Amino acid sequence: MIETVNLGKTVFSPEGALQILKDVTLKIHEGESLAIIGTSGSGKSTLLGLLAGLDSPSTGCVILNGQNLTSMDEDGRAKMRNQFVGFVFQSFQLIASLTALENVMLPLELAGDKQAKSKASALLERVGLAHRLSHTPIKLSGGEQQRVALARAFVTQPAILFADEPTGNLDSKTGNHIIELLFELNQEQKTTLVLVTHDKELANRCNRKITLEAGAIL
Amino acid sequence: MKTTALLAWRLLRRDMRYGELSILCVALIIAVSCSTAVNLFSDRMQRTMNSQAAEFLAADLVISSSDDMSQSWLDEAAKLQLKQAKTIEFPTALMENDELLLASVKAVSSLYPLRGQLKISDGSENEITTSQSPLEGEVWVEKRILPALKLNLGDMLNIGEKALKISKILTYEPDRQGDFYSMSARVMMNERDLAQAHVIQAGSRLHYSFQFSGDEKALKAFHDYVTPQLNASQRIIDIHQNRPEIGEALRRAESYLGLLSILVVLISGVAIAIATRRYTERHFNTVAVLRCLGYKQNQVMMLFVLQFLMLGFFTSALGCGIGVMAQHGLFYLLKSFLPATIAAPSLFSLLLGFLMGMTILFGFALPPLLQMRKVSILRVFQHQLENKTPSAWLVYGIALSLTSFFIWSYTDNLKMTAIIIGGGLLTLLILSFLLTHFLRYAKRFLPKIPLNWRFGVEALLRNPKISTVQILAFSVTLVAMILSYSVRTDLIKDWQLQLPANAPNHFAINIFPEQFEKISNDFKQQNIHSSGIYPVISGRLIAINDVAVQKIVSKETQGDRAIRRDLSLTWSAQLPEDNQIISGEWWNEMPVKNQVSIEEKLANSLGVKLGDNLTFTISNQQVIANVTSIRRLRWDTMKPNFYMVFSPTSLDNYPQTFLTSFFLPKEQKNLLNQLVKTYPNVTVLEVDFVLTQLKTIFTQLTAAINYILYFALFAGLTVLFAVIHASLDQRIYESALMRVLGANRALLRRTHLLEFALLGFFAGLLAVLISQVLLFALYHWALNLTYSPNLSLCVLTPFSSAFLVCLAGFSCVKSVTNKPLITILKEK
Repeated sequence: MIETVNLGKTVFSPEGALQILKDVTLKIHEGESLAIIGTSGSGKSTLLGLLAGLDSPSTGCVILNGQNLTSMDEDGRAKMRNQFVGFVFQSFQLIASLTALENVMLPLELAGDKQAKSKASALLERVGLAHRLSHTPIKLSGGEQQRVALARAFVTQPAILFADEPTGNLDSKTGNHIIELLFELNQEQKTTLVLVTHDKELANRCNRKITLEAGAIL
Repeated sequence: MKTTALLAWRLLRRDMRYGELSILCVALIIAVSCSTAVNLFSDRMQRTMNSQAAEFLAADLVISSSDDMSQSWLDEAAKLQLKQAKTIEFPTALMENDELLLASVKAVSSLYPLRGQLKISDGSENEITTSQSPLEGEVWVEKRILPALKLNLGDMLNIGEKALKISKILTYEPDRQGDFYSMSARVMMNERDLAQAHVIQAGSRLHYSFQFSGDEKALKAFHDYVTPQLNASQRIIDIHQNRPEIGEALRRAESYLGLLSILVVLISGVAIAIATRRYTERHFNTVAVLRCLGYKQNQVMMLFVLQFLMLGFFTSALGCGIGVMAQHGLFYLLKSFLPATIAAPSLFSLLLGFLMGMTILFGFALPPLLQMRKVSILRVFQHQLENKTPSAWLVYGIALSLTSFFIWSYTDNLKMTAIIIGGGLLTLLILSFLLTHFLRYAKRFLPKIPLNWRFGVEALLRNPKISTVQILAFSVTLVAMILSYSVRTDLIKDWQLQLPANAPNHFAINIFPEQFEKISNDFKQQNIHSSGIYPVISGRLIAINDVAVQKIVSKETQGDRAIRRDLSLTWSAQLPEDNQIISGEWWNEMPVKNQVSIEEKLANSLGVKLGDNLTFTISNQQVIANVTSIRRLRWDTMKPNFYMVFSPTSLDNYPQTFLTSFFLPKEQKNLLNQLVKTYPNVTVLEVDFVLTQLKTIFTQLTAAINYILYFALFAGLTVLFAVIHASLDQRIYESALMRVLGANRALLRRTHLLEFALLGFFAGLLAVLISQVLLFALYHWALNLTYSPNLSLCVLTPFSSAFLVCLAGFSCVKSVTNKPLITILKEK
């Protein structure tokens, strides 16, 4: 499903070049769930960004669903994301001026889906937010916001779901609830799951885990 | 305090290093440099224009008198280090080669002219400009004198008992008045020859002009010293009181420059308010952390105020520097249009620019800054926690007070300021209410819009309050730009109308009643356009409502001067061209005898109201007329104008002659000889030189005003870019999120294009509405111009505004679409 070959990322600052990721080669199979773990600054989020085509690598390539992301332009990557990819972020990343329903409808609308409203409502109901459809993010608690984000991620029935510290901003009880929901939806939709986490318990629920240290897989 | 100042300095440096303040700095530098450049430019132009106007006086200040001046005044002027010159004008009959000619002699002192220059020629077409006056024993004459007296250049001309050599032809004198009563042929001689000529005797009709120039303060001191001592025959004249046509042009130009300064401040204020708002919003979390670390609300406030003080100081200083360079550049670009000598920049203007910078900064930045006080400490737990906003009265009160102050200082009229501010505020409130509700209502129609376009419309409708604020901010900027453009255009159009290509350049006076019809027919046959032929009857106003005028009129007023001489009275069935009735009514087709229409300013000076009875003596008889209307006149149109116009038949029984003004192009000038031969009693006066003087000053004023307008428009555009840039954060973030969710660039481009276009279009539409209301008020109350809406501007503005906002928005958005998405999401 996803393959990387010698993936590397170097950033340049006034202090000089800094290699965040070096020679990462890995394969993630369809339906698999993979946890990327490691200490802060080890390059976990950078790897996730590269796998999802949110950033371009300095070296190497990413092959997603048989297509080389690295050789695509931004529009090509956007199309791939819209067709195959869902996201859940640590800081939710909801559009503040849209209601919960509108936030979930957005990826469907971008794909030109005419059933956007009914599908979004159904999924919000599935995550327990049927009574919060017309609320904007600021009126929702952290847990509720992450549930909206989950609904938005799954509403297009993506082949792959990327989750970056999905419980990082939540208390443990709410976090657990979100994780349950995430894995339930994952099971229901047979999605490939790639998640970045500090949480060993969460990592253990995945089929496989890799540990990053100083930008390299241990 | 020291610790807070030190911390403020460190935070400021950090913010500068990370680019947090760059937009605010750019907005501030633009504001300060623009207002400094406009201030300096306006001030220098104003002083240059004044000195240009001074040329028409040949001095900065003139005391006109029928007697010689007291030595104590001259001593006082010398003490104040004022330069002095003197001219004595008198009519005299010149007789040479059996030919007789009535001439107006002007004897001048050696320093004449103190301002401006004379133009002379040696008989050829080439004119020489000189600051010298005729030497002793020499005389300069107007060209028409030579053929009239059968003389040549180099011959001797007798003035009284003194024979003087005609050394030059005089073609131009700066202070020659356009008044046709003093338009006999000119002879200019040196004052030192006057005594030997023995032309001045007891009872001679002399007109002394004592001219002074020098430092503004000294001139004012001298003005204040002399004014209380003036007698009835003496009058003090400065550049504003000199010639009504130039005074009016200057007054309007000054009004325009003043208006422009306010508009630049307003445009900058909008940018600063928005840039500060962005800055404060990005610092809410910092404030919450500082509060957690033990900082009190007031300390936090002090910390940011100090940062802004430091920022204001450096940015204002930098803006002043750029402003100085910009105005130098402007003068450099303009040098071919402007007079050779431009007044030096004044330190006061520079200081004013600096202070203006600090004032604009705090006037417009303080409201958003005050939000810092209200930041909840709980933001440390939840970054998106909404702030309690400070009272709207406090937030907008400061910016409003500042704007009111600027308008008040411009209009110098508290009532009008209250009307403008109250009206403006009410208009903004109503419009923002309507706009917010319109956007909310429009949201309902979103599902009906094709998906491709929906995102763009949705972006605008998503948050009606924010969109309303942005639309109003653009509107205010556009209103300022429209006002600058419209007022300039109408001002110039008005000047051009005032002096069209065929403005009358000749006056014919002393036409006998029996020649009236024949001369009118002659004009028609020769295709000469005249501005109407009017009867002239000399008469003196002696009483108002049976009370002697001397008891009513205060000294040294226009009314006082009017009652001390005979007035030229006329009668007319039709309202003369360019006259406007401001109260009462013009008589109908069957006018009642002994009605009179009076000129507005004279009526005010004499305290005359509608219904008053005015008593005149005409040819030793008394005529009583009832005031039925008050007229506003344009003294600058080169057409016959009268203080008093009677109803037809009122003056039938009194001796009268007729006068008219007409236009003759150069190639038809030979018709003048024919006219003079056919009507030997008619005196024809050529006033081309007055027209040239007026056209010169209008051309220069127009050039200056045009360039200042371009500067203001440029400032407006730059600020437009800054404002869009300052409001980009949310757009960039949302675009990034849409890209993450799969939106391609074409869709994003369309979304932005539509959003910016709609934003610009609505802003343009509102700007047209607001500007037309303001223009009407401005023209009516401040600039004395006639308002007529510019339809093409009204139609073009919304579309141009949509185009400009798209251009500005696109150029700002484009630079960030290439940023990695992960970076944009992390920055949020």
